[in-house]
Amino acid sequence: MALLRDEDRKYLENLFKENLKDKVKIILFSEKSSGSKLYIPGRIECPYCQQTREILEEVVSLSELLELEVHDFLAEEILAKKYGIDKIPAILFQKDDEVLNLRFFGIPSGYEFSTLIEDIVDISRGETHLSEKTKNFLKTLTKPVHIQVFVTPTCPYCPRAVRLAHQMAMENKLITADMIEAIEFPHLAEKYQVSGVPKSIINETVEVEGAVPEDIFVEYVKSAIKA
Amino acid sequence: MDFLLIPRKEEEIEKEQDVIIIGGGPAGLTAGIYTGRARLKTLLIEESSIGGLASLTATIENYPGFPEGITGKELSRRLEEQAKKFGTKILDAKVLSLTLDGIWKIVETTKGIYRAPSVIICSGTKPKKLGIPGEREFLGKGVSYCAVCDGAFFIGKKVAVVGGGDAAVEEALYLTHFAEEVYIIHRRDELRAEKITQEKAFSNPKIKFLWSHIVKKIEGDKKVERLILEDLKTKEEKIFPVDGVFIYIGLTPQTELYSSLLKLDENGFIITDENMQTSVPGIFAAGDVRVKSLRQIVTALSDGAIAGVSATKYLEEIKFKGGI
Ligand SMILES: Cc1cc2nc3c(=O)[nH]c(=O)nc-3n(C[C@H](O)[C@H](O)[C@H](O)COP(=O)(O)OP(=O)(O)OC[C@H]3O[C@@H](n4cnc5c(N)ncnc54)[C@H](O)[C@@H]3O)c2cc1C
Repeated sequence: MALLRDEDRKYLENLFKENLKDKVKIILFSEKSSGSKLYIPGRIECPYCQQTREILEEVVSLSELLELEVHDFLAEEILAKKYGIDKIPAILFQKDDEVLNLRFFGIPSGYEFSTLIEDIVDISRGETHLSEKTKNFLKTLTKPVHIQVFVTPTCPYCPRAVRLAHQMAMENKLITADMIEAIEFPHLAEKYQVSGVPKSIINETVEVEGAVPEDIFVEYVKSAIKA
Repeated sequence: MDFLLIPRKEEEIEKEQDVIIIGGGPAGLTAGIYTGRARLKTLLIEESSIGGLASLTATIENYPGFPEGITGKELSRRLEEQAKKFGTKILDAKVLSLTLDGIWKIVETTKGIYRAPSVIICSGTKPKKLGIPGEREFLGKGVSYCAVCDGAFFIGKKVAVVGGGDAAVEEALYLTHFAEEVYIIHRRDELRAEKITQEKAFSNPKIKFLWSHIVKKIEGDKKVERLILEDLKTKEEKIFPVDGVFIYIGLTPQTELYSSLLKLDENGFIITDENMQTSVPGIFAAGDVRVKSLRQIVTALSDGAIAGVSATKYLEEIKFKGGI
């Protein structure tokens, strides 16, 4: 079933044609028989796995430079571990045999669909839109930084926060940046006291409420490194 | 599937424009439709989400021509598409200052400086804060100004909505999709919202009212746990346990940048004539940001249309030869 309207499909096809440069492989960790109504003991609940897969299938159908690889989270435990995947649906990106450190946990729908598309374009082109000042700062990092951005699909401000974190991860491999759809992972929302979005958690220590400007977010990253 | 939002394309934008529109809410997008159709080179600058406050509204029921209602994001998407169709370019940046240089209006943004002989300010409003202890501290931890963003965190919980106008009552109704109990806390003993919205609220079993009460403090340990209220009639203070509080007590105009340049009223709204002309020739204002009696989408669109036409006329009068 087509999720995109005809005109949006054409628009994206064209956007990919004009902007994609290199091949990007999208890797999805999902559950094998997602969509089936059968209850299988031991299987984890993943109400959005099926829809996430449908979205990605449709997206990769729009360009020859895009490819989708689907893995079963439970059956391919070792691979999931290797990539640090501990919840599903999880989306990763691979370019030139390298898997990038930016991920989506939860469905990239609503406003986050635009984040997904913009990420794909940036990854394919190998460029980000961060300021020179931010890029220079990112070059000086010596320790890993983990950014988790909590969102809901109906939050218009959220893509800004996710894009910022994801672009930082594109610039420096020491940064791992995750989008987390808060409603799908209530235990994490609970753990980090998220009841408003966007909310970013840096290195488990620093919390950022709201979509703050790039230079201010960089200051939060600095303070997390010091902490 | 609910919806999939399509991203905007990054565009090459010339530094010199015919018209610059500040703000991409309903007013700004409509101004863009009109100046675009007049074949004026138009740049619209939006720092946050296209659609402005309309994109934060779940369902708009009073927008004429849509008897079944239309969601805020759908209306925003359509307005954006229409503005772009007629050539308006959109820049994702924040406007930092607006100054004058002869006929030119200089617009400094986080992504460079642009100029045009004509500017339309459609910067709208932002939610007014209560200004009480706990409001800042618990932002994102139970204090919210955006029900569509954060409503889903309160499934089965008890929330308060502060305010009694259209926005407060509409958002209280929206929150009943998630919360078990929604308390509208209002400082008066009647609502200001449209009658039909009031009727819906009164007949909704999940909505309850605390009349003539104000919130004095928001308290909790790590997140919001209770409000300290004052009953204005008895002057009594009470503790009111809640999981979240949504604040809709009115709007503050986003006009700090223009306060020394333009005439504003005592509340900070921009004063215009009926052609949306401000106190500086060539600078127009449209939508919620200006002094007016009804701040709604339909009037924002109307203002935007008038401002677009006024800007076009202004450029003709000064015989500015830009254009595309
Ligand atoms: C909860 C709620 C429910 C509502 N429900 C309804 C309803 O049912 N029906 C109805 O008709 N109306 C409704 N309204 C009112 C309606 O949303 C507004 O009247 C309308 O959005 C005003 O449009 P605008 O373009 O003037 O301003 P806004 O929508 O406020 O847009 C202004 C835009 O300018 C941008 N901006 C400001 N400053 C800058 C800057 N320096 N640089 C770059 N960008 C900037 C902002 O980010 C914003 O996007 C509701 C409002 C709220 C809050």
